[in-house]
Amino acid sequence: MNHFPETWGRPRDDVYGPYNHGYLQAPAPNQHTQSPIVTGTSVVAIKFKDGVVIATDNLASYGSLARFTDVKRLRKFNERTVIGFGGDISDMQHLDRLLNSLSIKENYQHDATDEEDTDGFSADNVHTYLSKVMYARRTKFDPLWNHMLVAGLDSDDEPFLASVDLLGTTFSSPSLATGYGAHLAQPIMRKVVPDEDAVDQVTEEQAVKVIKECMKVLFYRDARSLDNYSIAVIKKEGVNLKLDEKLENQSWQFAERIRGYGTQVN
Amino acid sequence: MASILPGAPQEGIGYSFSQAAPNAASEPRQHSFYPYSDNGGTSLGISGTDFTIMAADTRNVSGYSINTRYSPRLYLIGGEGPENKGARIVLSVVGFTADGSALKERLDNIVKMYKYHHGKPMSVSACAQRLSHLLYSKRFFPFYVSAILGGLDEEGKGALYSYDYVGSYEREQCRSAGAASSLIMPFLDNQVNFKNQYQPGSGTGHNLQAVVAEPLPRERVTQLVRDAFTSAVERHIEVGDGLQMMIITKDGVQEKYVELKKD
Amino acid sequence: MWLVSSSWVWLMCAKLLVARLATRKSLLPQRLKLQSYDLSNSVFSPDGRNFQVEYAVKAVENGGTAIGIRCKDGVVLALEKLVSSKLLKPGANKRIATVDRHVGAVTSGLVPDGRHFVSRAREESSSWRNMYKSPIPVSTLANRMGAYVQAYTMYNSVRPFGITAIVGGWDSEAEHEVDGQVGVGPSTGAGGKVEGEKHGGPFLYMIEPSGSYWGYYGAATGKGRQAAKSELEKLELSGNKLSLEEGVKAAAKIIYIAHEDSKDKEFELEMTWVSSLSGPTKGRHEEVPKALREEAERIAKKSLDEGDEDDAKMEE
Repeated sequence: MNHFPETWGRPRDDVYGPYNHGYLQAPAPNQHTQSPIVTGTSVVAIKFKDGVVIATDNLASYGSLARFTDVKRLRKFNERTVIGFGGDISDMQHLDRLLNSLSIKENYQHDATDEEDTDGFSADNVHTYLSKVMYARRTKFDPLWNHMLVAGLDSDDEPFLASVDLLGTTFSSPSLATGYGAHLAQPIMRKVVPDEDAVDQVTEEQAVKVIKECMKVLFYRDARSLDNYSIAVIKKEGVNLKLDEKLENQSWQFAERIRGYGTQVN
Repeated sequence: MASILPGAPQEGIGYSFSQAAPNAASEPRQHSFYPYSDNGGTSLGISGTDFTIMAADTRNVSGYSINTRYSPRLYLIGGEGPENKGARIVLSVVGFTADGSALKERLDNIVKMYKYHHGKPMSVSACAQRLSHLLYSKRFFPFYVSAILGGLDEEGKGALYSYDYVGSYEREQCRSAGAASSLIMPFLDNQVNFKNQYQPGSGTGHNLQAVVAEPLPRERVTQLVRDAFTSAVERHIEVGDGLQMMIITKDGVQEKYVELKKD
Repeated sequence: MWLVSSSWVWLMCAKLLVARLATRKSLLPQRLKLQSYDLSNSVFSPDGRNFQVEYAVKAVENGGTAIGIRCKDGVVLALEKLVSSKLLKPGANKRIATVDRHVGAVTSGLVPDGRHFVSRAREESSSWRNMYKSPIPVSTLANRMGAYVQAYTMYNSVRPFGITAIVGGWDSEAEHEVDGQVGVGPSTGAGGKVEGEKHGGPFLYMIEPSGSYWGYYGAATGKGRQAAKSELEKLELSGNKLSLEEGVKAAAKIIYIAHEDSKDKEFELEMTWVSSLSGPTKGRHEEVPKALREEAERIAKKSLDEGDEDDAKMEE
């Protein structure tokens, strides 16, 4: 041992040559998520007079590879809230765990079977929670790479639908869609519910029908989509979540009219 | 502003959402994540002798997509509870909505805490300075918002404060901020502060006598606000859908909503 | 004057000190020496007992009766909550706690100790979830809590828990255990499912102040434990025949019977249950619905009254 404590416990310079200080240092700075890896595509949702319908397909893509074809991207939080996730799947799982532990902690205090107890989380509470999580993470430059729709009922049992994205941006509308859905599905849905007043005229059947139509259009046009999908209806009576639906009545006849690429160049 | 972060939008084409690709030449690529976006929208505030009018459109955009046709940009600050009952201060935030609502929540908390501590509501001038500090405290990672604060001062006169991203502020007669501010502001200069208006027949050149600006009546101002927005909607794609107005007088804050074109 | 009085005080102090030192060294009477085994934790008495733990058991013996019944399709927890004041709101201040979605715990003895126990149990189950992404098995939770309680018998800076805890839960019988799971995995071959494998079921454990714990068909603790235990034995729980709903009714009856000895005190019946995934609580620990609890209470009271009548007849 000598009088240079920084050399203690290290190979002797005179035997092994000068110590390489770079050895224990990371070769590059720590990096946060810069881009999503395994991703889910659009989420679509629409309000109707008694609640909300929300849907996603069951695909998780690895780039352009259809990697997992049975992924549940709709997550039920409680009897009045469902969350639809678009974007990174691992970040979705992280958020799902956060929400799970939130709901377990909520159960410590409240009793789900107590009819008088209405203090539990309503959909708007869950949305606020998620928006704070997302905004905090983007502020740390370590975002959760997701765009989510929160669908359900608010504390007055009115239909609630709002969106949160990786920047913490939030907005609400009678119909919402993320990703390609914002371009392809939103115009279809806005025909049915142009504004909040129109919501009262829409029945559950109509809402489900337009959502199914949107899922079909998305499957036609979005290359990272699937004909297997999940759909949930949230009403006062509770959540009806179906995780393994198949698109019906597809017609690819329109494809014949497509010109300009593929086999039909002109 | 643009140079603070790598990958920030570069000057050039007028649209606020034209985002240049991150500089590919820079050595180790660290963050391709850009923590801001621009959700468009325009706000406007005009103060009078005993009132202040705040206004903003309700369209929220990302690029060419309309996120929603109704997202309010005017917020009541202070008052009681989540509904801000009895509030006398209005904040408008345009730019990046996530930062906007974070800023609003911070200011609202501060103003509410002030009342708990001191037993009286915060004055607009104090609130204005506090807001400046809030913005400045995030100088090196700014809130991407143009804020306008409106209320009534201690003498009951209309008070209006406008801010830049990092907290520089001043009290003004009128101010427009956001996407179409460059369209609205010159109109306001002319119609509220009577810029480039001269007494007819007062001569030419140095003999011209400027019309002296004086506070306008409420009806006149309301009409100016609506005209300003209907014009902005015609020329700016990020503005439209609805117009939210808040009129602050000694009797409280009156809220109005009128439709704008949805194209 | 001051000088005189202060030197007097000084003298008294010195005397006291000498007296104390003397007691500490050898003047301690034999009787006191014996007693000192129970003053500190982590010290055995010559005949191998830890008195502090035994005193903790005494604390439990004064608490309201708590029981747990392991039925074939779930677990019932019940508590005789003694009402300490008429000013307390009826139905408030719940004592049976939810530890995780699928686990509940009830304690008898010192109430704040029980709360600390529950808080630790919640930490254990949430850290298990963090680590393994699935709910903690009830047996593991009982093991962890047993170890935790035991540690409080070994250090002289702490005292043992003044509680006995009954922990009941349902380990899920479903296949998807890992939360946020992506995909269902292969159905056969490597990594595939073993056919006919049975998982999960109802579990019930009781943890004592010493840290020892056992799995039970029926567990009882607190003041009325003796009466409760003999009633539990009558249920023949080891046959695995009692249904959850019967269990709820039996639990209510047992609590009422156990209360017979302290009839002067008012009490509230608190009951929770956890069933299989196909049962009424879908694998979650919840309070027994009001209607069912009231029904169970009605039956319990009725059978007690009938019992009294029988006794009366016998006397005739």
